[in-house]
Amino acid sequence: MILMEPLISLCLVGPQRVFSAGDELIAEYQFDAVAADEIQAVEASVLWYTEGKGDEDLGVHFFERRVPSDAEQGDLRSLRRFTSQLPSSPLSYAGQLFSVRWCVRVRLFLRRGRELVQEVPFILGAVPGESAE
Amino acid sequence: MPRLIRWLEKKRGDRRTGSNLVGSVGEAVFHGAIFLLGVGALAALVTAHVMQPASAWYAVGVGFWCMVLVLSSLAIMGGVGVLRTALRLSFSAERRSAMARRANNLDLVREAVPQPKDFPTLPWHEGLTNSPGTELAYRLPATNKAGWRLLAMTFFSLLWNAVACVLLVVAIRGWLAGELNAFLASVLIPFLAIGGGSIYFVLRQIWIDAGMGPTALEICSHPLLPGKTYRLHLSQSGHIGVKSLSLWLVCEEEVTYHQGTDIRREARTTFEQRLHEQSDFQIEPGMPFRADCDLAIPPRAMHSFQSEHNAVHWWLVVRGVLEYWPQFERRFPIIVYPGDATMRIAEPSSAVPAPHTAGAPVRPLAARRSAPAGVSA
Repeated sequence: MILMEPLISLCLVGPQRVFSAGDELIAEYQFDAVAADEIQAVEASVLWYTEGKGDEDLGVHFFERRVPSDAEQGDLRSLRRFTSQLPSSPLSYAGQLFSVRWCVRVRLFLRRGRELVQEVPFILGAVPGESAE
Repeated sequence: MPRLIRWLEKKRGDRRTGSNLVGSVGEAVFHGAIFLLGVGALAALVTAHVMQPASAWYAVGVGFWCMVLVLSSLAIMGGVGVLRTALRLSFSAERRSAMARRANNLDLVREAVPQPKDFPTLPWHEGLTNSPGTELAYRLPATNKAGWRLLAMTFFSLLWNAVACVLLVVAIRGWLAGELNAFLASVLIPFLAIGGGSIYFVLRQIWIDAGMGPTALEICSHPLLPGKTYRLHLSQSGHIGVKSLSLWLVCEEEVTYHQGTDIRREARTTFEQRLHEQSDFQIEPGMPFRADCDLAIPPRAMHSFQSEHNAVHWWLVVRGVLEYWPQFERRFPIIVYPGDATMRIAEPSSAVPAPHTAGAPVRPLAARRSAPAGVSA
């Protein structure tokens, strides 16, 4: 029997990966290769985190948690789209000791405590040193 | 293929190379054991007193209450540890952060921990604009690091020299009685030398802090926006010949991190720009040195940023080289907001022009050959 890992498809709508403060970010996600009753909850967030020598800090700008009772027929696998207006700070930054990164992250909670995470990075603002990945 | 059981694991801050689940279970078991030990022993102690008051282990008195205190502490520490582990396992990092954000939005918390409403992660600037200036709108407060350093050095010096005095008296008494203790005498010499050294450093610090006179820095507006120019007024009191006095705009990154059980701090200057310098002049009592200059924040500078372990600070720094005195440095924090050039991305057809900061020289930093991150200068 072949066991498949559940697939998380997450993408930003449109070609844009660099955003201005106040822009509207649209993202969508869906799940495949997993039974509907296997999914306990789904969390989607737009967040910034620090990376570098200092301990990691994290700030959530947008957060949405869905459980089967929130979805039609209890199926969280279908395509879900969400929008969020981006804030004025913190702007993406690549410094010498630490960086500030922005991403859209989807976390899938399965039965028996399993968790899967998928994220798509993007850039907020135009501070020099930060480039599109 | 990764091994199932890794004997040696790395840990830095909250990050581990091993299994998070195994680590969390181990942590929960450890705290649970402490909790059970505390609760069990506390229950045994109390029931022993209730059931057999005559033959109880501890009579009700200081010893009994000490035991109650110690065992209650164990129960509380263990219980809190288990709850924290359960909270971490039950809620993702994003969900915890979202909950914290919602709590921050409550009016009560917002008043206690203020932050600019539309600019999350920017430090609050209320404390920088509540002192009006005499020449310009605001008088900026200086950091009080030097004051704390002086206090700590004075405390150490007093304590050390008090012990040294006691040892000196004992040694002199012994010497007068004809029973000089050679060991005490040999220990006393380095002890007195360290005491003398600490007095020298305290006096030197007092000389710098008090003898130099206050440094006042005023600014026409605050907080600051990149690409804008502001007026500054510098005033330095004292009675001294000055070889050079300069005013700098400095951007500094600061991080804290766990290394084992230690919390370490590191700071690095990413940008320095001299705003004003004057050489070879005399400051007379009642006639403070005064200078006016412009402050231009680079258009594409990174804004001030403050999170729990990482920060970008902007400072105005006054540095002095004086005749017969140690060098001194005084720092004034400023808050830089995100500017239009960094908040708005350029349209594909119109590239952002290379920013240019006219006039003042920029000091190259040895640590970074290219333009510092977050600042185009």
